[in-house]
Amino acid sequence: MDLFATIQQVIATTLKVPPDKITRETSEKDLAAWDSIAHVNLMMVLEQTFDLFIEVEDFVKLTSVAAIVEYLREQGRA
Amino acid sequence: MSKRKLEWDKLLGLGTRDALRQALQHSAVPTLAQIQPITERAASLEPAMEEFRLGVVHSYTSDLLDPWLSLAGALEGLDVKTYHAPYGLNLEEARAGSDLVTHAPDITLMLLRREDLHPALVRPVVGLTPGEQAALSSQLLDQLFAIINAFRTHRVGHLVVTILPQQAGPALGVYDPQSERSEAAWWSALKAEIGRRLRVAVEAALFLDLDDVMAQVGRDGFFDPRLWYSALFPFAPAAAREVSRRVVGLGAALKFPKAKVIALDVDNTLWGGIVGEDGFDGIALGHEYPGNAYLAFQRRLLDFQQRGFILVLCSKNNSADVQQVLNTHPHQVLKPEHFAAMRINWDPKTDNLVALAEELNLGLDSFIFVDDSDYECALVRRELPQVEVVQTPARPVEVPYCLDQVSRLELISLTAEDLRKTEMYAQERVRRELRKNADESGGGLNGYLASLEMVMTVGIDEPAPLKRLAQMTQKTNQFNLTTRRYDEQQMRRMIDAPNWMVAHFSLKDAFGDSGIVGLALFDLSEPAVAELDTFLMSCRVIGRKAESAFLNALLKRLAAAGVREVLADYLPTPKNGLVTNFLTDHGFAVGADGRFRRNLNATPPLPDSTYPIVIDVTRVEAPGIRIGEMV
Repeated sequence: MDLFATIQQVIATTLKVPPDKITRETSEKDLAAWDSIAHVNLMMVLEQTFDLFIEVEDFVKLTSVAAIVEYLREQGRA
Repeated sequence: MSKRKLEWDKLLGLGTRDALRQALQHSAVPTLAQIQPITERAASLEPAMEEFRLGVVHSYTSDLLDPWLSLAGALEGLDVKTYHAPYGLNLEEARAGSDLVTHAPDITLMLLRREDLHPALVRPVVGLTPGEQAALSSQLLDQLFAIINAFRTHRVGHLVVTILPQQAGPALGVYDPQSERSEAAWWSALKAEIGRRLRVAVEAALFLDLDDVMAQVGRDGFFDPRLWYSALFPFAPAAAREVSRRVVGLGAALKFPKAKVIALDVDNTLWGGIVGEDGFDGIALGHEYPGNAYLAFQRRLLDFQQRGFILVLCSKNNSADVQQVLNTHPHQVLKPEHFAAMRINWDPKTDNLVALAEELNLGLDSFIFVDDSDYECALVRRELPQVEVVQTPARPVEVPYCLDQVSRLELISLTAEDLRKTEMYAQERVRRELRKNADESGGGLNGYLASLEMVMTVGIDEPAPLKRLAQMTQKTNQFNLTTRRYDEQQMRRMIDAPNWMVAHFSLKDAFGDSGIVGLALFDLSEPAVAELDTFLMSCRVIGRKAESAFLNALLKRLAAAGVREVLADYLPTPKNGLVTNFLTDHGFAVGADGRFRRNLNATPPLPDSTYPIVIDVTRVEAPGIRIGEMV
């Protein structure tokens, strides 16, 4: 599975929204379900899925699909 | 404790919730992505899930517990429906018609922080003198109990109160235990006082000590500072799982039939190996591995006995082999007197469990069966689904902990009767033997009953045994005319109400004291007609005419107070067939409306001498009886 597809699935499962609602351009502003509590959950699931430790400073930056893709590339997970 | 990796493929193939729970108990914490399939798997297993309604009042984020609560619920067979109150310690929820009250929770969980309870707690407690610390404790307790009582006056289910542990160690660091201002000592004393006040003054409430959760998972495993400072959610996954498991476990203990009996296999459960094959000297039991693990399990079983659970043996063996170990093995902890009954023979274990239930006069749904054998566990699960089965782990090091996460072995309250239960059942075993002798010598039942020298003490509207009285309505299934369940709050209201008579009895005999074993609730709202709302008796005193003597004594009181008629109901359940004829056997006639009536003029109560029991009338006549107020 390519990186975007994995992220799409992680976000869809965590936020309980259909995967097709999540595109490469999606950010937290586009989805009502992506609230602050769901965001913390998403960070935990990303950590577990990609075997990472995400610093809390990065929580606030990873609020869009693009930012998450970029971050995972930086972390060498893609 | 370090845990083995989650054996994912194996896990989802497990076919019982007990097996799933055990596998997870000894595995690493599942990830959020893994929780969902485990939850779905557990939810799909038999028996079908029951609903468990939870209300959460919180001064920190609680929504992130939801997946863990659902997981813990599915593993118990409970479908958790959670209502989170608005954020903050919101007393708005403690009023009639609030969203919390409307949710009708079985349990309301209060997630509090120390600093909610006193503003001074943002500064170090060690900065205060011991006298100032005591004053602070007193103010803090007043605040806490004001909150608890505000909720307790509404129907929000059992209250489970928690206070979040401190994220940092004590202010004085490693020196803290030596200091006269020790924070840890202050906190321990405060918790003890919270426990004491809940015990003596608040009904249906429990302090769930999160410090013990932290002791179990470790401070690093308990807090995730990233979640705390960014989302005000304190719990790392290990803590979220364990807190949820404990809360839901209390739900299971409340909702499912009360467990009363732990039925134990012996080989590879109480000791390692098979006594019939390995011999007395060949079994593993002692101070070396693996015998030390079985020794530890036997000691742990004594803890469960202290909680009021009865231990019985159910073993396929030559009885003499097992008796030899019980009586003479130098490392055997559990002796014959620790067991209320035993079945050591070659009959099917299902037959033996049925026989044990009959002997103890307890329902099979109060049994927890512990056995290492796949065959026996599967047989009991299939043939006696009402029995909870715990398979003894194959790894000896896991054996000592195998009952620690069985929720029905958690207590919601503890009464004096609970502590003495095994002793009382052992007395009952002696009584049965005496009865057998009386029958064989031709003295018959009456001779036997007279030889017991029974004395009944009746108490009316006494608040002291409140917990026990409520507990009896919760636990008694067989000798129970109406099976109406009341919690401690409701019981308290009936005791206080002038139009209710709450009568209980205890029974002493030549062998010992049964404690409180019977309860009758009369609704006296109508002048001259008393309605018998509840009449129940513990099965351990069945067959001694105590129920007849108790009813008769109460009817005498009522007749003397001007009651002319008693109205009663028998509400049949799958379990109370025992009392089908109780009312008609005691002078009641069934009417066209299906209700039972006894006219006390036409069918007056009998003299006390009718029964082979001396009734302690001083208590019946004692002041405080409110019957007089209704005539």
